[in-house]
Amino acid sequence: MTQKLLEIKDLYAGVAESGKEIIKGLNLTINAGETHAVMGPNGAGKSTLSYVLTGKPDYVVTGGSMRFAEHDLTALKPEERAALGIFLSMQAPVEIPGVTTQNFLKHAINAQRKYNNLPELDAAEFLKLLRSAAKNFDISSEMLKREINVGFSGGEKKRLEILQLSLLQPKLAILDEADSGLDIDALKIVSQGVNQWHTKENSLLIITHHLDLLRQIKPDFVHIYADGKIIKTGDMALAEELETSGYKNYLDAAK
Amino acid sequence: MNLNVDGENIYGADIPWLYALRKKARDAFVKNGLPTAKTEAWKYSYLPSGILDEFTIAAEPHHCDGHCHEKESLPFDCRQIKFCNGSLEHIAHDLPRGVMIMPLIEAVENAEIKPYLNKSFAVGEFPFADLNTALAEQGLFIVIGKETELQEPIYIHYHQHEGAPKLNNIRNVIVLEKGAKATIIEDFDAKEDAHYFNNIVNEIYVGTDAFLQHYTRQNEAAEARHVALNSVAVKAGGQYRDFVVHNECLYARSESYVCLKQENASAEINGAYRLQNSGHSDITSNIRHLAPHTFSDQLVKGVLDGKAHGVFQGQIHIAPNAQQTEGRQLHRALVLSDGAEVDCKPELEIFADDVKCSHGSTCGDLDAEQLFYMQSRGIALDDARQILIAAYLNEVFGKIEDVAVAEWLKSIF
Ligand SMILES: Nc1ncnc2c1ncn2[C@@H]1O[C@H](COP(=O)(O)OP(=O)(O)OP(=O)(O)O)[C@@H](O)[C@H]1O
Ligand SMILES: [Mg+2]
Repeated sequence: MTQKLLEIKDLYAGVAESGKEIIKGLNLTINAGETHAVMGPNGAGKSTLSYVLTGKPDYVVTGGSMRFAEHDLTALKPEERAALGIFLSMQAPVEIPGVTTQNFLKHAINAQRKYNNLPELDAAEFLKLLRSAAKNFDISSEMLKREINVGFSGGEKKRLEILQLSLLQPKLAILDEADSGLDIDALKIVSQGVNQWHTKENSLLIITHHLDLLRQIKPDFVHIYADGKIIKTGDMALAEELETSGYKNYLDAAK
Repeated sequence: MNLNVDGENIYGADIPWLYALRKKARDAFVKNGLPTAKTEAWKYSYLPSGILDEFTIAAEPHHCDGHCHEKESLPFDCRQIKFCNGSLEHIAHDLPRGVMIMPLIEAVENAEIKPYLNKSFAVGEFPFADLNTALAEQGLFIVIGKETELQEPIYIHYHQHEGAPKLNNIRNVIVLEKGAKATIIEDFDAKEDAHYFNNIVNEIYVGTDAFLQHYTRQNEAAEARHVALNSVAVKAGGQYRDFVVHNECLYARSESYVCLKQENASAEINGAYRLQNSGHSDITSNIRHLAPHTFSDQLVKGVLDGKAHGVFQGQIHIAPNAQQTEGRQLHRALVLSDGAEVDCKPELEIFADDVKCSHGSTCGDLDAEQLFYMQSRGIALDDARQILIAAYLNEVFGKIEDVAVAEWLKSIF
């Protein structure tokens, strides 16, 4: 039996400060274990969707609903959503001077464990976990001692995001352009990391402009997202078609 | 307030040179009065005109059941000295060769202190220092002899407990002779509800190629007032390194007046303050580059919340002959509430042309993107804020080489 993990119904959302509407009547259901890819032109509102799902305070929901596992997401703080198992790999991961990568990760893991009534990891347990995970993502201990994301190359930042995915073990991972700026080897590392984490219970929402990552991760559904909603849903064949003919036909048809 | 230095009850009235100095300082203080809103160096930090009337200077016997003589347990080795309610109660003994520490009153008795007392600044320049000169009976005379390296820091603890509201005028004179090396740690604390005014003057003489590391941890009681002047003269190749930490109290001002008098003299003056309620913290410095090839560097960072008031004033003065001199200064504050306020006054006074100088001041709030990034990883908003505040302050605490001391200084925040 399929189990609904995320259910978005007729969602409207926009910028909190200006009231500018960005998401306009979006519907999307993701069942446990499924992989969904979202593709669409620049500025369509894809990153905004990822922020609305994770509760970034810059945005407000003005209509519709978002449910994640039995929870009404709009009522939850970002940290609660994270602890329930929603992970966002950001298009532009944030630099935090003065906080080492290692410390940041320890805070994150233990905060989520605490929320879920699990004992916090002590320094030794954490380091052991971190070291073995870091190896999989070709992240050196020197990098872990550096301030998080500060001075990291684009590819390094993305690898670190996926390292966090593998450490935090969420139920739903939203990858917003996790493939941008990756060289061929890094793309392999990232997609292997994602596939390793991905099980029958875990779901994926991949936002991307490219097919390389999709070819490795093999989405069950491919959605075309334009002007704040999904205008077409298909499978990998749709993505292949977009690569050759672009969005034009679909955008015109949607008008 | 009894400013009568002719009276018998002031110590040293019978020592002519001291009497003359006290009288001169008293006259200057009476003539100038307390600083007001119109006094440029005090315009952000003036005190109400009748403030001193609240306090007595009379030492009163106190009964602390010998607690005054108990050693503090500290995370670093040191030689401990303690003032209690403004009176010297415990002085370090068994000092290594070349190190001398004696109470101020003994030092004026045989005039050893005379070449140093009130010789690092002029009477009339610093109103509270004049008051201190006129009245101080308590304090220390510390001499680190030629080429003497004192390994263990000298730890001076100023503690205030119960008693009538008290004005403590404490005067320390610290002399590092040629090539000497020492660390001095000053620690101010009190019983929670103590009501007092600390008026501290340190005159510090850093000799040729000498090195002084100076730390001040101001953790006064909530209702305390604290005014401190570090007046420092540095000779050729000498280094003065200072770090001051202000916790919140009613009113605190730490002022550094540093004269780099000869070539290759240098000063590093750093600090941090953290205010949460309605306290006032002022960090003021005047670094005077008086010779070529002198260096100064300053970083002060503050975090303010509630209705707190922070003040940073930094002056770098470069004399006409002080070529190839470098002076850097930066103040940064995190202002976490609308009610908190920061006043900054950086001033460069440059009379030489071949110099490198920079100064700046920034104020900001916590970064919303950073907070959300942490929250999106499961870290609660409040914890995320604390992590970012600590990270913010770590930049300046990271300049302290001795990790144990850095942690100890930080621990009051
Ligand atoms: N906080 C904000 N304030 C104002 N406008 C915003 C804000 N966030 C997003 N927008 C606007 O909303 C639109 C959608 O932005 P979004 O980043 O979601 O697009 P996207 O589909 O992710 O684009 P890309 O493919 O370029 O990453 C853009 O026009 C953007 O400028
Ligand atoms: Mg985007």
